[in-house]
Amino acid sequence: MPAFRNPSCLHLRLGADGGVSRRSFLQLSGAALAGSGLLGPISLHADELKKQGRSCILVWLGGGPSQMETWDPKPGTSNGGETKAIETAVSGVQIAQYWPKIAQGLKNWAVIRSMTNREGSHERATYQLHTGRKPTGALKFPNIGSVVAEQLGDRQAELPNFVSVGETIGSGFLGVHSQPFVVQRPGALPENIAGTVSPEQLKRRLAQLTDQDAGFAAAGAKQLVDEQRGLYAQGARMMLSPKLKAFQLDDEPAKTRDEYGRSGFGQGLLVARRLVEAGVPFVEVHRGGWDNHVSVFKSVEKLAAEVDQGLAALSNDLVARGLLQRNLVVCMGEFGRTPKVNPRAGRDHWPKTFSVLLAGAGIRGGRVIGKTTSDGMDVDADPVSVEDLFQTLCRAIGLDPSTELTSPSGRPLKIVDGGQIVTGLFS
Amino acid sequence: MPHSSSPALLKPAMNSRRRNWPWSRWTAVASIAGLVWLGLGLPGGWRPSVAIVVAAGPKLPDMSTPQAKLKALEYFRQQGPWKTIKHTGALTSKDVDKSLEYEKKLPDDRYAPLSDDASFMRRASFDLTGRPPAAPDLLAFVADASKDKRAKLIDRLLETDEFALRWAHFWRTVMFYNTPVAANRLDYGAFEDWLADMFKRHAGWDQITAAILAAEGKKKEVGPDNFILACENQPTLLASETARVFMGVSIQCAECHHHPFDRWKREQFHELAAFFAPGKYYMPDLQHPEEKTEMSARFLLGENPPPNLKADARRVAVAAYLVYNPNNYWFARAYVNRIWSELLGDGFYAVDSLGPDGDVSHKLVVNRMAYVFRNQQFDARWPFRLIMNTKAYQRQIRAPKSSDELFTAVRPSRLRPDQVAKALERIVGGDKLAKDVERIFAVDPSVPLADVEGAIQQSLFLMNNPALQAAIKNGPLTQRLSKISSPERLVDDLYLDVLARGPTAAERRRSLEYLKTVPNRAEAVSDLVWVLVNSTEFISRR
Repeated sequence: MPAFRNPSCLHLRLGADGGVSRRSFLQLSGAALAGSGLLGPISLHADELKKQGRSCILVWLGGGPSQMETWDPKPGTSNGGETKAIETAVSGVQIAQYWPKIAQGLKNWAVIRSMTNREGSHERATYQLHTGRKPTGALKFPNIGSVVAEQLGDRQAELPNFVSVGETIGSGFLGVHSQPFVVQRPGALPENIAGTVSPEQLKRRLAQLTDQDAGFAAAGAKQLVDEQRGLYAQGARMMLSPKLKAFQLDDEPAKTRDEYGRSGFGQGLLVARRLVEAGVPFVEVHRGGWDNHVSVFKSVEKLAAEVDQGLAALSNDLVARGLLQRNLVVCMGEFGRTPKVNPRAGRDHWPKTFSVLLAGAGIRGGRVIGKTTSDGMDVDADPVSVEDLFQTLCRAIGLDPSTELTSPSGRPLKIVDGGQIVTGLFS
Repeated sequence: MPHSSSPALLKPAMNSRRRNWPWSRWTAVASIAGLVWLGLGLPGGWRPSVAIVVAAGPKLPDMSTPQAKLKALEYFRQQGPWKTIKHTGALTSKDVDKSLEYEKKLPDDRYAPLSDDASFMRRASFDLTGRPPAAPDLLAFVADASKDKRAKLIDRLLETDEFALRWAHFWRTVMFYNTPVAANRLDYGAFEDWLADMFKRHAGWDQITAAILAAEGKKKEVGPDNFILACENQPTLLASETARVFMGVSIQCAECHHHPFDRWKREQFHELAAFFAPGKYYMPDLQHPEEKTEMSARFLLGENPPPNLKADARRVAVAAYLVYNPNNYWFARAYVNRIWSELLGDGFYAVDSLGPDGDVSHKLVVNRMAYVFRNQQFDARWPFRLIMNTKAYQRQIRAPKSSDELFTAVRPSRLRPDQVAKALERIVGGDKLAKDVERIFAVDPSVPLADVEGAIQQSLFLMNNPALQAAIKNGPLTQRLSKISSPERLVDDLYLDVLARGPTAAERRRSLEYLKTVPNRAEAVSDLVWVLVNSTEFISRR
C-alpha cells in the first residue's frame, strides 16, 4: 500500500512493464473502472473497497474434480471416456453433460481451461490453491480468504470476516483475527453463541477477565493473552449482533431453499449469499468427494446434480439481488485428473491441466480462457499458473497483489508472488 | 511441509553424518550377530566388504501368525545394540543442560529462572497425566521440604495409568489426525486401549512400533491394526506415514518429484512403498499413466529384503529395518524430538517434517539423547524422566524471540484438547464435556506449538456452552466455594482449584473487592469462577 494514502482517490497501478506509474483519479467509480478492464492491475484503497462491499464466495470442490467431466470435456476421444458434451447459452462453448443448469446460465460464468500446476498431492495442492504459494518450511501462508478478511474486513465487525462452511486452510501467519470461522451445520445458528447471563453481567465478567489476563501477560504469556483477548472481543461482538440471523435460513422462502437444493452444500451456498449480503467479505463453501480414482463418470454425475443446482441458484440469486457485480464466485479444486481413464474407469491426480469456473466482480460471463490439446494431456494455449489465477482473483476482488503482508519474523511478503492477471477474463 | 532452506548447509551435514554417528561402527558386528536373514545392518552399497554374510543364505523364521511375527521381531530385539556394544549409555539431565548451554554459550541472565513448585507441579501433572493437580496434592507438594521432590513426583506420575492413557491418546491423534479414512471405519478406542496397555507394561517404543507395522491391518477392533487401516492399506500412504510418524521425516513430496535439497529421492519413496504392496509394485509415470516402472522393495538406507518374502512378512522387515538398523538414527530421534517438543514447547526440528539434517537445531544434544534412548532399549518413559529433570524443562515461561533463545525458557502454549477437557472436569464434576472439547479445541498435534492458534468457537464455548455455564452457576465447585464464609479463604481456594496456584496480592484484592460490590454472593462466586475458566492462563501450559 502506498505510504501517502488519500482516502478520496483511487490509485491505479499500470502493468508491470509500465514501471512505477501510479495515478490518482478523483471520485472515479471503482466498479465502473474495474469493469472496464482496460488497465492493468487496479488497486483501490482498502477503505474504498470496504465501502464498495466487494466480496468473494469460494466454492471448493475437494479431491480434485475432473476437468473432462466438468468444463473441458473431450467427447468422442479415447481420453474423453463416456462423458458427452452439451451446448450452452454461449454459442460454440460446450461443457460436460452433467451440468445442464450451468450450461443454461453460462452467460454469467467464465471458464479457465488452461490451468496448469505441478503439485499432485491433495494436502499440498489444497494449500497451494488456497494460498497461492507452494508449501514451504515453517512459514504458513494465509488462506486467500484470510487475506481478504484482513484487507477488506473490518476488525470491529460483528460477523467474522471469513466464514467457511466446512474445515479449510487457516490464516497462517496473519493470526487469529482472520482465522476462518467454521460452520459445521449450515442454516443453524453457530453453537454456543447464545449468552446465558444478562448483558450487564457479561460486561462485568469481561472487565474482570481483562484484569485477570493482564497479570498472565506480564508473567511471560503476552502473545497468548493478546490472541485470546482478540478472540473474546470477536466472540462478544458476535453474540450481541442482530446480524447473526444471516447464519439462519428460517426467514428464507421455502422456494429459494428448494432452488439451492436441500443438501448441506446447497443450503451452505444460500448461507454464503446471506453472509456476503450482511457484509462478510469472504465465504468458503466445501463439497468434497471429487477424488474419483474409481468410476469417475458415475461419481461426477451424482455430485454434479447437487453442485450444478446450487451454483446455478447462487448465480441467479446474486444477479437478481444486484450482488454479482461486486461479488466474485470461484469454483475449483486442488488439481485436475488424468486425461487417460484408468482400468477402474477412474482418473488419478493430474495437476498439469485443469479448469476453474468464475463469475462476478467484473469477470466477463461466457468467456473461455485457454485450451487443452485434443487428448487433454497438455495446455495448448494461454497457460494459467496458480500465481496467474491469484493475480486474477485479487484483481476481481480489488486487492493489490503486491501489497506486502508481514511474516512473524518481519519478512515482507507480497499477497501474490509473481504471475500475471488473466486479462481476457475482464475485457 | 518440509522444503528446505540452504543447499550449502546440506553437503557438510551429510558428509559428516556417518563419521559422527557412533552406530555405524557397529554395523559389521550386528550382521554377524544373527540378523542375517534380512541382511540387517548391511546398508546396501555402504559396506560391500561384509556382504558375504548375506550370501551365507537367509533362514526365514516362522511368520505365519501375528504372534510369530512379533516373536521374530523380539528375536532381533534380543540382538539389539544394547546387548552387543560396550556403551557408556549414561546421560543425565545435568549433561543435557550443560550441552544446551555449551551449544549457544549465552550469559546466565539470558536464561529464565526456575519456576516455583506449584507451577512445576501443574506443568508436570498436565504433561504426564493430562490433568491439573488436585488442591490438597498441590499444597502437600509445596510444603514438602525434601530436595528431590520434583524427581520423585516425575517418577510417581510416570507410573500412573493416566500417563499411559494420555500418551496413548496423544499418539493416536498424531497418527490419525489427518487420515483420509472416515472415523467409523477406524476404532480409536481399541487403538488407544492397546497402546495404553503397552505403555503400562513398559513395552519399548521399538516393540510398539514393530507391532503397529507388522500388524495384519484387517480388523479395526484389533488395536494395532488401525494404523494400516488409517492408511487405507495403500503402499504410498503407508510409506509416507511410516516415515512421518516414526522417523519424523517428510518424504511424501518425493512421491511425485525429486526434491532438490532432500535426501530422499523419488525412487526411494517408491521402493519404500513397494514394501507395503500386496504384490508387485509399480512407480507410476505422472505424464503417462500407462508407463510404469516395477520397483522392488528397498528400505530407506538401502536394505534389501530377501526376494522370497511374502507381503505381510515384508512389513515385519520394514519394522526391523526401521527399528533395529543401527544406522537408522531417525527412528530414535523422532521419538525424543516429539517428546521434547511437547514438553518444552519447541522441537529441535519440526516433529514430522524434517528435510535435510542441516535443519536440526542443537544437533549434538538431540543426537546424543536419541543414541542413549536406543541404548535404554527404547524405554518410552526414559526421555520424559531425562527431560523433565532438566533445568531447561523446569524454567519459567517465556516465548523465545529468536532461535538463539530456544530452550532458555519454556514456551507458553495452548493446552492440548485432552488437557482442557480434564481441567474442566474440576468445574463440571465429570467428563461430560470431553467430547465437545476434543472437537472444538482439536488441533493437529504435529503443528509446532508456537503456531497453534485458538478460534472464536473456543472462546464462545467457554463463555456460553450451556452445560458449562450451568456448572459455573451452580456446579460442585461453585457450591463448595459459596459455602466458605471467609472471603479470603474463598478466594484462595478459588485460585487453587481453578488455576492450581494461590492468588497474587493484586488478584486477592481485586476478587475481594468484587465479592463486596456484587451483593448476591452466589452470583459473585459464579462470576469469579467464570472469569478464571475464561482466563488465558486456564487454557495455557505455563
